[in-house]
This record gives sequence, structure tokens and C-alpha cells, in this order.
Amino acid sequence: MTYHPSATGSPVASRSTSPDSGDDAVRVDGVTRRFGAVLAVDNVSLSVGHGETIALLGPNGAGKTTTISMLLGLSAPDSGRIEIFGSTPGSATAHANVGAMLQDGGMMPGVLVGELLAMVRSLYEAPLALGEVVEIAQLGGLEKRRVDRLSGGQSQRLRLAMALVGDPRLLILDEPTAAMDVETRRGFWHAMEGFTERGRTILFSTHYLEEADVAADRIVMMARGRVVADGTPSAIKDSVGLRVIRFTTEHAAIAELETLPGAVSASAHGNRVELRCSNSDSALRALIATRPDAHDIEVAGIALEDAFITITDGIAA
Amino acid sequence: MLKYLALEIRRSIRDRRYLLLVAGWPVAAYLLFSTVFGSAADRTEGLAPTVEIMVAMASFGAMGGVLMASGPRLAMDRQLGWLRQLRLTPLSPARILAARLMAAMALSLPAIVLTFIVAVLVKGVSLPLWEWPLLVLLIAAGCLPFAAIGIVVGTIADGDGAQGLTMVLYLVLAALGGLWMPVQILPSPLQTVAKTLPSYHLAQLGWHIARGVAPALGDGLVLLAWFAGAALLAVAVSRRLTLRTA
Repeated sequence: MTYHPSATGSPVASRSTSPDSGDDAVRVDGVTRRFGAVLAVDNVSLSVGHGETIALLGPNGAGKTTTISMLLGLSAPDSGRIEIFGSTPGSATAHANVGAMLQDGGMMPGVLVGELLAMVRSLYEAPLALGEVVEIAQLGGLEKRRVDRLSGGQSQRLRLAMALVGDPRLLILDEPTAAMDVETRRGFWHAMEGFTERGRTILFSTHYLEEADVAADRIVMMARGRVVADGTPSAIKDSVGLRVIRFTTEHAAIAELETLPGAVSASAHGNRVELRCSNSDSALRALIATRPDAHDIEVAGIALEDAFITITDGIAA
Repeated sequence: MLKYLALEIRRSIRDRRYLLLVAGWPVAAYLLFSTVFGSAADRTEGLAPTVEIMVAMASFGAMGGVLMASGPRLAMDRQLGWLRQLRLTPLSPARILAARLMAAMALSLPAIVLTFIVAVLVKGVSLPLWEWPLLVLLIAAGCLPFAAIGIVVGTIADGDGAQGLTMVLYLVLAALGGLWMPVQILPSPLQTVAKTLPSYHLAQLGWHIARGVAPALGDGLVLLAWFAGAALLAVAVSRRLTLRTA
């Protein structure tokens, strides 16, 4: 049985594939992809509606990049089905419906930024104006620079420009802000808002919960090749339990502790209790009120990676 | 696709080191060989040595320009991820390969033209006016098999490997194909091999024109067969181009 919040009655609203979602921008049905003995993507299903901004959230090795590569038709699933605007990924790309930014997308060496953009633009029937793309991607002043002389952040902006220039209906971005500094990142998401306001759909991957939280309407969380949660950012944050309260008590009644407001799960090692919380403030107040013997209390954040591991351990159990 | 083709060519022209290698080498070799082997007794094609060696070196340079523009560059673009990036545009894989093939073909021209100019200016070569454009055109067109061979090399080998493999192929094709010395001086089993090579038939095309006779159909057919073979192989291995990351 898979841990799927909607299936286990958790408050996370599932928007994953249902049989009647015929007009979705993206539909992924039971897709699996293996590399040798490694199951990179394991029976993944998800759907993206028109105009939605979806974050594919997960730690490194979760299968995000492999999933994106299949969405773009750059690799084929071993089993399962992928539809982009009702057609195959390859055909969606050929018909200029999809623009994408890859982590390992390279640039034609020896040419200028402006030359490259103009060439790529010429491949589309209804592209954006060159000036508009340069502005959105914050490439102003770099048009005469050789593409192999760009910094990491500048290259990333050029990749964005190449993804946008065809004015695609769906934008797929693999860790788009990875090489960006804080300011560029902010500018990037601001530009993306302008893009979605025109009814465009965005699917991006990230391993930062904060980024997914700020930028996405919905988060699809992946770990070890599977979709482990699918819902609004606030529902995801609640279900994951990103804070932990540790304390010592003489009678660690686990089941009772888990019912405290704001608590998600509890575990004990001898007298030391670890309480995973979605809202550590409420949980702490309730703990102090109901357990006067609790002492050596500490509250800490946990890394997203640890949260993923907890969830995937839940799958294995 | 035309803009992509144009940009591929522009990128090559901008690469000075590459241009110097593909056009400078045959010109230098022409000056050396036509001076050292200047006596007509050494030649077997019934042409003045300065003319015979001019055609041979133009073919040699054209072949090198095409091989190097096609194979190592493809391997590099594959490793850089540029091909993967290009696959995200509406440009189909077939068109990408076609454009690269044509861009590589265009790189046969610098060596041909420069060798001819040096032959006329330095060695006083003179041919009937109509023969010049025909020579340029035929030698350039005859490089089609090398462009396809380069695509195969650039697909199966990575970076330095593609560079090395291209060099080996280039030198073997040139030496065995009779571009440096007449194939008649080779041992006879090697002569048989030599006469199946595209480089041999490329030179024959040019030598026919330089003699003022029509090129033999056989030479054209052998070159076409090499192109067809290499192109089929290229299609068979080209799945690697996009489905795999470097």
C-alpha cells in the first residue's frame, strides 16, 4: 500500500490523476523508469491542470529529473503513459507547446547570446519579441557576450530565455533557481508570475520547500522514485511535520502525545521523547499544560531530507 | 533550420585555430610536395605535378575540414548538452542532423579555394576557366561521405576520443587513398584496399576534371555508396544523441 495522503484520510487534498481529467495540461499514468537495477521512477501518477503552477519537490535522487526528462520526451518510460495536452511528449515539443529548462542543457559554444536567442526564436511560429525575452530573463546587456563566457547564473538565465522564447503553453523547469543568488531568484519568480497570469502552466522541480511554498499552487512531493504527497503547500507542510520537540519524561505515553494539537507523530528512546510537529507552538503549549513533568525541552527544525526519509520509511513499513 | 545552419557555419568561421588547421595544413603540404616532387616522372595521373598535387591537397584539405567540423564538434556538443537543449525546440532530430551535415560540407570550401589560389599565384598553375568552379563544386560535393562518417564518429566517441579517431581516419584515408603519394607505390594488396576508399575516388573526380575529361561515373557511385553506408550507420547509432546524457 502506498502512503498517499488522500488515501489515508489525511487533510491533504489530492489532485492526482482521476479518470475524468481529460483536459489536463499534463497527465502521467503509472509511469516507471529503471536504470539497470535502480528504480528511478516507480509507478508515478500525477496531473497538472491548465494554468496551474506545480512544484515537484524532493531530495536529490527522488526521481524528479528523470520524470521531467520523460515529460519532455527525452527518455521513454519503461511502462505507463504520459500525455501533454492530449498528445505524446515528443509531439508536444515539436509543436512548440512546451518550453523547458534542463539542469544539463548546454549552449552552442562560440556564438553570442543574441545570435543564439535569435536562432532559437526563428524555430517557432509565434515567438515572443526578442526584447521581451531578454527583459524577462534579465539578460539585458549580455546579448553580445559569448555563451561560453557566461557565469553560472547568467547561463541559467539564458536557459530560461530559450525556454520562454517560443511562448509555450507549458513551461517545464528542472531546478531553475539552482545557480541563482537570492536577488536573481526573486526576480525569476516575479517574472514567472507574469507568465502564469497569461494562463500558462508551469511545472518546476526544487528541493527547497520554501521555494515550492512561495511559488507553487500545488506541491507534488517525490521521494525514492515515488509520489509521496500531493496537495496545496499548506496541506503539505502540515502533513510533513517540519519541527521536532524533544523532552524527557517518566511516562512516555506515545499514543497520547500524538493527539496533542500540532503534533504529527511521536517516538521514544527510553525517557527521551521526540515529537514531530506541524505546529510546534501549539504542541509546546499543550505539552507544558498537560505534562508538568516534561523537562530538558528543546525545539528544533528538521531538514526536509529527514522529513522525506520519515515519509518513505512509512512506505516501506 | 536555415538559421541554425547559418549559425553553425558562422561558429566554425569564427574558430581561427580550426580554420588555420584545415586550410593552412593542405596549403603548406602543397607548397612542400609540389616543390620536392616537381618532376613529372613521379606522377601517374598524366598531369603536371603542380596540378595533380593541387587537386590532391585540395581534396585532402576539404576532407579534413569536413571530418573535423562534423565528428569532434558533434561529440563536444553532445557532451556539453547542447544537443539535448536543441531537442527541446521544434527542430526535429532529422533536421538537426541534416543541418550539421550541410554545415560540415561547407567547411570543405576554405581549403579548396585557398589551395587553388596558392597554386595559381605561387606555382603558376593555369587551367581552362570553366574547370575551376567545377573542381570546387565536385571536390566539395565529393566530401559528402566524410560528413556522414563524422556524424558516426561524433555519435559513438566522446570528446578527445572523437578528436583522436577523426585524426586517425583522416590520415589513413589520405595516405592510403593516394592523396599524399600515388597508390601505385603501395604493395598490391594495399592498392586493392586503396581503390575502395572514398578519398581515392574523391581525388579521381578532381583529376578527371583537371585533365579536361568528364568524371567517371564509377567514382561518383563509390562515393555515394560510402555516403549511404555511413548515413545508415549514423541513423542507427543516433539514438545515442538525444536519449542519453553525456
